[in-house]
Amino acid sequence: MLALLPFALHAADAGAAEGPVTIEDAPYGEVLFHFYQQDYFSAIVRLLAARERDRLPHHDAEAELLLGALYLSYGQHLEAAQIFERLLAGNASPEVRARTWFFLAKIRYQRGYPEEAQQALALIGEALPASLEPERRLLEAQLLMETGRFDEAARLLGEWQGSPEWMTYARYNLGVALARAGRVTEAAAILDALGRLEGRDEERLAIRDKANLALGYALLREGEAGAARDPLQRIRLSGPFSNKALLGLGWADAELGAYDRALVPWLELAKRNLLDPAVQESLLAVPYAMAQLDATSQAVDHYHRAIEAFHAEAGRIDATIEQIAGGALLDKFLAGDPGHAAGWYWKLEALPEGVEARYLYHLLATHEFQEALKNYRDLRFLARNLEDWRESIDVFGHMLETRRLGYAERLPRVEEALSRADVQGLVDRKLELDARLNGIEAEHDALALATADEFRLWGEIAMLERSPALAADLPEAEEARRKIRLLKGVLQWQLEKEFKARLWTLRRALRDTGEALVETHRARRSVEHAMRTEPEVLAGFARRVAALGPRIDALLARVDRAALRHRAHLETIAIAELEQQKERIETYTVQARFALAALYDRSAAAGGAP
Amino acid sequence: MEKRIAGLALLLALAVSPVHAQDEPAVEEFQGLDREVQALKDEVLDLNRDLFLLEEELLFPANSQVAFFLSVDVGEFFALDSVSLKIDGKEVTNYLYTEREVDALHRGGVHRLHMANLEVGEHELTAVFDGKGPHARDYRRGATMKFTKSLGAKYVELQITDRAAKQQPEFVIREWE
Repeated sequence: MLALLPFALHAADAGAAEGPVTIEDAPYGEVLFHFYQQDYFSAIVRLLAARERDRLPHHDAEAELLLGALYLSYGQHLEAAQIFERLLAGNASPEVRARTWFFLAKIRYQRGYPEEAQQALALIGEALPASLEPERRLLEAQLLMETGRFDEAARLLGEWQGSPEWMTYARYNLGVALARAGRVTEAAAILDALGRLEGRDEERLAIRDKANLALGYALLREGEAGAARDPLQRIRLSGPFSNKALLGLGWADAELGAYDRALVPWLELAKRNLLDPAVQESLLAVPYAMAQLDATSQAVDHYHRAIEAFHAEAGRIDATIEQIAGGALLDKFLAGDPGHAAGWYWKLEALPEGVEARYLYHLLATHEFQEALKNYRDLRFLARNLEDWRESIDVFGHMLETRRLGYAERLPRVEEALSRADVQGLVDRKLELDARLNGIEAEHDALALATADEFRLWGEIAMLERSPALAADLPEAEEARRKIRLLKGVLQWQLEKEFKARLWTLRRALRDTGEALVETHRARRSVEHAMRTEPEVLAGFARRVAALGPRIDALLARVDRAALRHRAHLETIAIAELEQQKERIETYTVQARFALAALYDRSAAAGGAP
Repeated sequence: MEKRIAGLALLLALAVSPVHAQDEPAVEEFQGLDREVQALKDEVLDLNRDLFLLEEELLFPANSQVAFFLSVDVGEFFALDSVSLKIDGKEVTNYLYTEREVDALHRGGVHRLHMANLEVGEHELTAVFDGKGPHARDYRRGATMKFTKSLGAKYVELQITDRAAKQQPEFVIREWE
């Protein structure tokens, strides 16, 4: 179905980010963090959670677009389409609109919805970035070819002057489509040119080989064996298409009656791996050619060997079918799975080990199997996810119980402590101190702010002042009075000097105390509130836990059932493919037996054993 | 002659493309299964959203919740190795970054490095990052900050940036309420 689309378009480049994004809500950045690592599942969950709690006030519109891109990447094109349709009916920029419709078209095509793909293509408009234009053309041409509208496809490709690489793929697809439609002359012109491409890189060489193969076989089908030789001979002997090329070349020579020449490629082919149908066919073709060349005994030998080889092969296929039906092979496929959901762009890159696995290499080239396998993988991820949550829910239940018990134990102690704390008394005292300080400031009562030593000294001086001896009219008394006046003056000066600073310090201390009291008051109210509401909070959590548990169980059951159905579907596809391979082997075996019988008859008629 | 044609017919059935033509019932079956998977994914995602929120609110109630995020804003590529956090003198995380994560950070992603339950009041945060800058030069930089936790969830973002001094990555810390 899908011929060649060489570049995979990653969601990370496609719709979401159009250049540097300024993150203003951390949760949005967190979603991007997972998105850029292609962990679409985690990204979606976080985005949904953040929106649920209104944590993305600055990224509303972008979040919606990002969610669409995420759903797309995760293979949920139905959900994505709904979001895009809503968004694009709004006021998204033409560039964003064009990109998302293009991407939607591609995924719908890959998933086998060609009409929906056409619809999306038609909505792209003119604003698609130049870098995506070639792929868009290719997709459009592909859709036309699949509905048999080759002329329109040819015109579309003819009008467009894209990059050489894209044009090559496009023209190959067109050539093949024309050949399949029986328009061989037109196909030949295109494929012949492609079959002579210069170049050293693997992609170019592969296209060359494919074009030559397509051309050679088309000509063979038209009965033009002579013309078919050239393109078939251009194919690399050790490339992925060499087996088919060797087979075709042999048939071309056989058609021309040159059986000895035909043996050359066929004998080479017969040495290769029997998994390949081309090799299987060569096992018959070789004795056939030998029989034509009257090398009867050799032909008989080869037919016997072919029958044995086919028998062994059929046995291996049977064993593989058994493995698949028993479920073991699919598990092997997924053994190398990293485990986290990589969404729609995951591809099985390498075959697992084992003889049986190699039978399915055909299957892996088909989108049908790949897409079905991705779905199955995704289902297994979902099952693991739900199983993990089921354990967590049990833990939450225990946590809540512990909290409830803890609350019940702490409550009486907290109530007692709250009743003991006389916060109001402290507040009253603080207010009293405020008033006193105001009075001290108003009266400029520096002595009120004296230190203990200063106060004691002042008292002593006052006592001395009152002493009768000081009042005596004596030089010593006068001296004493002078000293006391001096001391008092110094002390007064000291008190004056420190008054402002002390006042300020005390005021600040009182203010800090005031703030601490406010905080205490608030904390107390908070504790009272918490103690009052805790039962309600716990009950709320308990309700949520109680509701989520059954949801997990129900979904897990559905996911498991779906996984079984998908597995059965995969097994069906795989077994069908293998049955087809076995049928071919059986047909070849029958042909070999008939040919052998014919040879024996011929020998008997000629009057001797072969 | 007959055999030859039969052989040719068989081989030509393989020609041109390795893909079998898909029959209608198979396609319909796949599409049915595909729709089923999409519906299940939808429901599982919704359920995960609810579970994710429950877990967060249960383990980190808003009144004590502080979330620490890490982001990167550097001109030249800075290969971040690890970030460690201490809160009030106690190490709470020492996170090693994979290449994939570093790439995601450079593209603008923000990593939720750590979640904590902290009492209302003042706390001290010390963050240290290790990495390799341009020309494979090793970097280790730290930053310490005091912050106040009041009621309600708090976000603290640690950003590794070289805006102040080009090619010299430093920590910049900001708070979000």
